[in-house]
Amino acid sequence: MSILANKDTYVVIQGGVAGVNAARRMAEFCYLIKRSLNVLAFVYPPDAGKTHEIPYGSGLVTVPIYKTVAEATKHHSQINTSLVYIGADRALKGGMEALDDSHIKVVSMITEGVPEKDAKILGRHATKLGKVFNGPSSIGIVSAGSCRLGVIGGAFDNLVLSKLYREGSFGVITKSGGLSNEIIWICSQFADGITTAIGIGGDAYPGTDYVSYLEMFENDPQTKAVIIVGEMGGDIEERAAEWYGAKKRRVKLMAVVSGFCQESLPKGMKFGHAGAKEGLKGEGSARAKSDALKNAGAIVPATFGALGPAIKEAYQEMLKSGQVKEPVEPASLPKLPKSIEAAMKADEVMVAPLIRTTISDDRGDEPCYDGYPASELINKGYEIPHVVGLLWDKRLISKQEAEIIKRIMMLSADHGPCVSGALGTIIAACAGIGLSQSVAAGLIMIGPRFGGAVTDAGRFFKHAVDNKMTVDEFLVYMKKNHGPVPGIGHRVKSLRNPDKRVKELVGYVKSLNMKTPCLDFALEVEKITSVKKDNLILNVDGTMAAVLVDIGFPVDSLNGFFILSRTIGLIGHWVDQKRQDSRLIRLFDYLVNYAAPKRREVPPLK
Amino acid sequence: MAKVLEGPGMGLMKKWGITVPNYVVVTSVDELTKLGQANEWLKKSKLVVKAHEALGSRFKLGLVKVDLDFKAAEAAAKEMIGRQVGSITVSQVIVSEMIPHKEEYYCAVKSTREGTDILVANCGGIEVESNWERVKRLALEVGQQPSADALEKVAKDAGFTGPLVKKMADFAGKMFACFDSEDAQYLEVNPVVLREQDGELIALDAVTLLDGDAKFRHPDWNFAFAAEFGRAYSKHEMEVMAVDSKIKGSVKFIEIPGGDTAMLPAGGGASVYYSDAVVARGGKLANYAEYSGDPPDWAVEVLTDKVCSLPGIKNIIVGGAIANFTDVVKTFGGIINGFRKAKSEGKLKGVKIWVRRGGPREKEGLDAMRALKDEGFDINVFDRNTPLTDIVDKALQNK
Repeated sequence: MSILANKDTYVVIQGGVAGVNAARRMAEFCYLIKRSLNVLAFVYPPDAGKTHEIPYGSGLVTVPIYKTVAEATKHHSQINTSLVYIGADRALKGGMEALDDSHIKVVSMITEGVPEKDAKILGRHATKLGKVFNGPSSIGIVSAGSCRLGVIGGAFDNLVLSKLYREGSFGVITKSGGLSNEIIWICSQFADGITTAIGIGGDAYPGTDYVSYLEMFENDPQTKAVIIVGEMGGDIEERAAEWYGAKKRRVKLMAVVSGFCQESLPKGMKFGHAGAKEGLKGEGSARAKSDALKNAGAIVPATFGALGPAIKEAYQEMLKSGQVKEPVEPASLPKLPKSIEAAMKADEVMVAPLIRTTISDDRGDEPCYDGYPASELINKGYEIPHVVGLLWDKRLISKQEAEIIKRIMMLSADHGPCVSGALGTIIAACAGIGLSQSVAAGLIMIGPRFGGAVTDAGRFFKHAVDNKMTVDEFLVYMKKNHGPVPGIGHRVKSLRNPDKRVKELVGYVKSLNMKTPCLDFALEVEKITSVKKDNLILNVDGTMAAVLVDIGFPVDSLNGFFILSRTIGLIGHWVDQKRQDSRLIRLFDYLVNYAAPKRREVPPLK
Repeated sequence: MAKVLEGPGMGLMKKWGITVPNYVVVTSVDELTKLGQANEWLKKSKLVVKAHEALGSRFKLGLVKVDLDFKAAEAAAKEMIGRQVGSITVSQVIVSEMIPHKEEYYCAVKSTREGTDILVANCGGIEVESNWERVKRLALEVGQQPSADALEKVAKDAGFTGPLVKKMADFAGKMFACFDSEDAQYLEVNPVVLREQDGELIALDAVTLLDGDAKFRHPDWNFAFAAEFGRAYSKHEMEVMAVDSKIKGSVKFIEIPGGDTAMLPAGGGASVYYSDAVVARGGKLANYAEYSGDPPDWAVEVLTDKVCSLPGIKNIIVGGAIANFTDVVKTFGGIINGFRKAKSEGKLKGVKIWVRRGGPREKEGLDAMRALKDEGFDINVFDRNTPLTDIVDKALQNK
């Protein structure tokens, strides 16, 4: 048996994230003891109507979220317990709502920092209704082998180590959450473990104090002894002592009290929980409490460390007198399925990767590009073109190469509003479309006729150079197999009206001491084609392509240089239109040649 | 529990209809001089000047001066403001009107488990402390309001007679209203005096403890809470408090000058058991500290930094029970970063570190601590199989 929480306990959790975390922990316990999840509902108005998925073993349990406690208990009439995880400013209202629900018999409040007055009102209301209000600031309640309310008991491994999967003989009542776990562990190591452990919270006026729970334990035949972990301040330990001393009790009472250090500290210095306050004239001091408990006949070890041996001694006596029998441990216990991450860490599974990357890694404290930390690149003077080199071609390019790329980007960043890309972006911007979509509208234009010839130009020039073709051979090859030469020809520019960007780039690259076989070949091609027609000049795509091939960039990356550079311009156009609050554009009729059939009658549908 | 200085305390009482003497709180003599021109009572009445700080024994320290005219009050203010008392610099004085009186009484309201106690005595000042049996009590249940009859009865029981019965009952009723409405935990007026000129009961001195947790519903609490242990908070304490106020979970830090055993344990409950163990072993605490509720690692790092900065420490106790949901790896990560930083700043020389902990991811966390040995830390790490406070015994066994 146990008290307060058992196999018939079903729970509604009032609150958000913290409540969900508690439900996960509770599900782990339910899984360990092979009962279904005891959390049937959440109450959290902002998410009402949705559900939470709580992991249970290797599966998930769907738990609905309601707006009110009444709705939750209407749909799940087995609910008899509420755990309150609502913020301190709304805890009173939430606690009252739960107490006032006729289905609910136990309300345990986990919320910390609840005003004292509110806690007292809740405690008083529960007493009047004959219900239990536990907390505030409670870590929870756990009955070994039957029910866990809250995160008390800790991680799954600890539940097993502390033998919480089966009943022992010791009841535990603590103000401290962390120490509840410690005592549960001690009981499992020095004796046969616990029946029920209750965190009553460290506030000055816990909703339910030691005495009420001692009464319950006294009436639970499975519980043979109760351990109280007390603190200085208030008088609930004294009341427990009074209860124990009042008449012969079936349960053995053991207790420790903290706060002796207070005797040697500057006066008024306050430690620990809210309730840990010494009163005037030494009442509520650790010594007063410890003496009261001792005088009432409780076993009070001098230190916390001495509690283990004292529990052991009490347990050995119980065994000798036949009051308890050595527990039988189950042959096997469910193991909590590991997450993939944990299982991989333990070398237990192998997972075939879904994708493979060879360029970057962001799993550390900063991104690494081809293995080089970004901050180190910055601090050692590297620039954007080097990052392009690392991510596109997996190599650290030279300063000179970086300078060429920088110039290519600067020359191609924008080409006014009339070109397909910019126009696409501008039309989208004027239609009120957002930045990324508008820029995408511009980028979509990049293709064989606009800006997208760089890759192909590079590919064919490279093919010619690699195969040592003459210009004539190349032109024949192109005409036969592919058509016009990409990178040659311009809508507007011509021999007489040369493209200054091309001149600039060619001039710079030629001024450097580097081999440019591809560029040289492209210029030879231009010499021939421009004679045929004076706008068949080497255009900016072709120039970029030839130079980038000469630097050694892979052919497939070449369009990227145009896309990257032109994105700068497209963003500029979007911001520019946005700044002007431009209106929706509609094409004027006079700009359209309406070549569609004249208006005519629609024949009857056959 | 949050202590409020006399000025704002009197302000709250005044709000609920309790008569208090005229008073002003000033931070400079100039301010007082200007107020003297604007407030006739400062020139006409005899005055009391008190240091307006969370200091005990102000009388003994000469920080209360009575029966002064305005000139003398200015002189007293000048003398007090800026005075250094221990770690506190007096930055404010409260100047109040002296109330000529013959009789002194006592009234207090305090929170009890069952509800509220109203305490009344027909003696006051130090007399009440030596005659505690003369204090009469009206016990109220949670949510109960005191009736006029009950208040008069307790006044009569306390020995008030004639018109004073009703006056004291009224006074106590207003004290209760203030207590109940302001989320107070303790209100005490000692003495309550009978003003000779008009026979009105006046609250001469106020002790006000409010429930800091209820601040969210009192937007008019525009005053700072005072430190409760007779000294101002130190810079490091305030830094940790600032962190504490903005995180999930908590970090706490109080310095105790002169100690050599530094505390860095987890848990509001366990931390006190650790402190007890140090004292029981004859050690001297250099601080109190505590982190709990799965605080972020950076908050624990700040706390660690302050602990490592304590002067003259020989041992650091990184204790903790078996955590429920505080992640050991994460919180230890904060401590480890703090230790590394301290070491790089030349701290922790000759300091032994003692670790004991359990809880979620305990093995990984303890392994990480153990690895600090390779970095030259003098560190001893124990798991859940070592009883909670045994590390204190080990640390202090050569004492």
